[in-house]
Amino acid sequence: MKHTSRNAWIQLAILVALGGAVILTLILPQLSDRQAADPPLELSVVVRESDSSLWSNARLGMEQAAGELLAELRFLVLTTSNDSQEQMDLLRRECERGADALVVVPAAPEELSQNLRDLTGQCPVICLESQVEGTALTVAPDNRALGQALARALLEDWTGGAVLLLNTAPESEGVLARLDAAKEVLEQAGVPVQCRQARAEGMMAVLDGLVRESETGWIMAFEPAATQGAARAKEEQDLKQPLYGVSVTTDVAAWLERGTVTAAAAWSDYAAGYLAVESAVRTARKERVEMEPLPFSVVRGEDIYDPDNQKLLFPVAP
Amino acid sequence: MRAFFKGFVGKVADRYRKMSIQMVISLSFTAVAVVGMVFMGLSLYLRFYTTAETLAEDNSLRVLAQVNLNLERYLHRMMRISDTMYYRVIKNTDLAEGTFIDGMELLYEENRDSLVSIAVFDKQGGSVSAVPLAGLKTSAAPQTSGWFQSAMAKMENLHFSTPHIQNIFDDPDYRYRWVVSLSRYVQLTRDGVTESGVLLVDMSFSGIEQVCQGVELANGGYLYLIDSDGELIYHPRQQLIYAGLLEENNLQAAGYRDGTCREKFQGQMRQVTVKTVGYTGWKLVGVVPAEELGATSRQTFLFGLALLLFSVFLMAFLNFRISAHISDPIRRLEQAVKELEAGTENVEIEEGGCYEIQRLGHSIRSMVSTLHHLMDDIIQQEGQKRRSELEVLQSQINPHFLYNTLDSVIWMTEAGRYDEAIQMVTSLARLFRISLSRGKRIIPLADELEHARHYMTIQQIRFKNKFTTQISAEPGTEGLYTLKLIVQPILENAIYHGMAAAEDDGLITVTARREGETLLIEVADNGMGMRPEVAASLLDEDRPDVRTTGSGIGVRNVHRRIQLTFGAQYGLTILSEPDEGTTVQIRLPALDETGLALYEREVMG
Repeated sequence: MKHTSRNAWIQLAILVALGGAVILTLILPQLSDRQAADPPLELSVVVRESDSSLWSNARLGMEQAAGELLAELRFLVLTTSNDSQEQMDLLRRECERGADALVVVPAAPEELSQNLRDLTGQCPVICLESQVEGTALTVAPDNRALGQALARALLEDWTGGAVLLLNTAPESEGVLARLDAAKEVLEQAGVPVQCRQARAEGMMAVLDGLVRESETGWIMAFEPAATQGAARAKEEQDLKQPLYGVSVTTDVAAWLERGTVTAAAAWSDYAAGYLAVESAVRTARKERVEMEPLPFSVVRGEDIYDPDNQKLLFPVAP
Repeated sequence: MRAFFKGFVGKVADRYRKMSIQMVISLSFTAVAVVGMVFMGLSLYLRFYTTAETLAEDNSLRVLAQVNLNLERYLHRMMRISDTMYYRVIKNTDLAEGTFIDGMELLYEENRDSLVSIAVFDKQGGSVSAVPLAGLKTSAAPQTSGWFQSAMAKMENLHFSTPHIQNIFDDPDYRYRWVVSLSRYVQLTRDGVTESGVLLVDMSFSGIEQVCQGVELANGGYLYLIDSDGELIYHPRQQLIYAGLLEENNLQAAGYRDGTCREKFQGQMRQVTVKTVGYTGWKLVGVVPAEELGATSRQTFLFGLALLLFSVFLMAFLNFRISAHISDPIRRLEQAVKELEAGTENVEIEEGGCYEIQRLGHSIRSMVSTLHHLMDDIIQQEGQKRRSELEVLQSQINPHFLYNTLDSVIWMTEAGRYDEAIQMVTSLARLFRISLSRGKRIIPLADELEHARHYMTIQQIRFKNKFTTQISAEPGTEGLYTLKLIVQPILENAIYHGMAAAEDDGLITVTARREGETLLIEVADNGMGMRPEVAASLLDEDRPDVRTTGSGIGVRNVHRRIQLTFGAQYGLTILSEPDEGTTVQIRLPALDETGLALYEREVMG
């Protein structure tokens, strides 16, 4: 009798559990709807330049990713390019303001690496361009391979004379890696190399002097701002030295077309921006993210209208 | 396989034979219900899934038709611009006398929201007229462009290019704009002579983008636009595809016919709806992830599964209860029959449940009642038989003794020993009165001893006082009862076998005492005795009856009567030694008046 009664209770319990499962499956879609209605993540993007137009393509990609992944973007630039202190202040302020993740183009990766935990706490940080120790991920091409490819493009044209390597971001690990790799390739090929430090914004003032001082017949820049600065200076000062640079901005495309820039190592800034925001969102949501180096190609002026290069250089805004 | 199947069937049959009726009913009902529910559930689920797919397909077709309509309107507008340019401006202008500029500018201004440029080229690719930018880049070679070659190759058609950066015009601002080029072969008139040329209308890509943008299909679906070769014209994530972060199945989609089909792309099943845009050969492709359809149906599936499990268990639960309700009367009947088999009396047999079970219960109850009656009859008959046997045993005593006594009375009367004769007859009368005891088989111990005393009186007269008799009852035996006429046969044996050689010194003692729940009557003589094995054999049932002097049957009859009446634990014990005498112990239950009444009610019925 006792056994029968216990069985009846067990049966009743199973019945109640299954009834609960039915109700749960009924309200499950509403629960998932509620989950979908979670507030969007707030992401802050802090670049190292004072000119946001350099990142216009990346910004398009970021905005597309933010739209798809329900995130809100705050795009911040520095008052002075590569001002690491200002950048760190900005990062601290954004973290304190409650940003869910940060996307940073570091001005001084090493310095940032040392202060990252104090600045950002547990807030995930995604880096563009340069790798910073302690950050969740870095979205960048293989900087060494990029430097080597750019140097090989110069070697194809090289007819003699020294090459001026513009070191415009001595604290940026990514930019330095490009420069070092290019220098190695050139030196291995027996090309004389002259490295000079300069600020990208001051290129207009110093480039001519640097070229004269180093007596170089070729110029290489390894970051978009430097390439842009050097191209402007070259046009203004009517410098004859072929310029090899890094960028995918429309300006550089025009300079490529005009021949001011002979070749530019280009990757899809749109893709970099998209991937950076996508990674930031996924990291903030505690999802697993893996990142591979961004593909890049070296584009010459005569090739910019090649269909693949059109897609690379000129983003189709959605 | 066959052996396995047979084995399985055998096991099921074996299990079935061991199952209770409740379990069989419950399982059968549940199995049938489950099969029915699963069948219905699957049918409904498939129906729902098919309906969801059809709805998604209808939705895609409807949306694509609408987008196609808007796109055709847009393209027709461009074609009208081209037609206007050609038939109103180019056809009406002789280049030797004028230019197309005014007409072109007018057209451009009217449609500048969707146009990037309008240009006319001669057959060598030289610019004839162009707005808003008139100059060509020094590096420009229009004749090598795809749109130019298409126009020259198929003169009768209008040609739409895929999106590209228009790179032939010299823009001082270096703006690079994505356009879709509409080109056609035109005939230019120069000084009355017609010559070949190409009219180019560059549509802003954003115009097409606006038509296609923001269109959402069911379950997170989207649409994209391709040309007849599968080259992408518009895609909501076009730049991601261009950047190599995403892939689309556009090349394969170029081979699809209008309508809906399913494809597997990158491991994902997709419902693809295709609609060809008129004149251009472009295709609008709507993609609805079948997995997304599945996501909705997965929830439905989960709900269905939970509902099915709940229903199955509820069904099983209810079936178990209902079958228990149905089968409980049968189980109780079975239990009652089992109790009957075990010999339990007064088993209550219900007549509950449904009609058939009531009838079955009624039949079993009738059968049991009949059985009880039959058993009662048998018991009664057995009792009667036993009583008859006892009566026969008792009656075996009386004739011998009566004959001997009466013979003695005759002999004494003839001898003139009237007093003794009178005493003997008196004792005989008393003896018979006690023997009769109004038909009772169990009489007070005092009566039995009285009976023995009268018997010994008679025998002493007959045997001329060769022996004396002492009959006594110890305290505690008052009010006890004993089987009638059990002492007399022992005394008879003591007289005939023990006192045969006595010469006035024979002594027979009868003592009654109580030992716990046993009444012990000892009859002892100091006669010749016998060997112990002979004494033991006297009660042996297999020993042939030997008629000797005296009452005949003797102690064995008494022993048998006692055991028949009270059980095997009671009866006689004979202790004897040659020349020492013999003692016969009679063991009986110590029955007082209450015990006797109980005994008669329980044992004798």
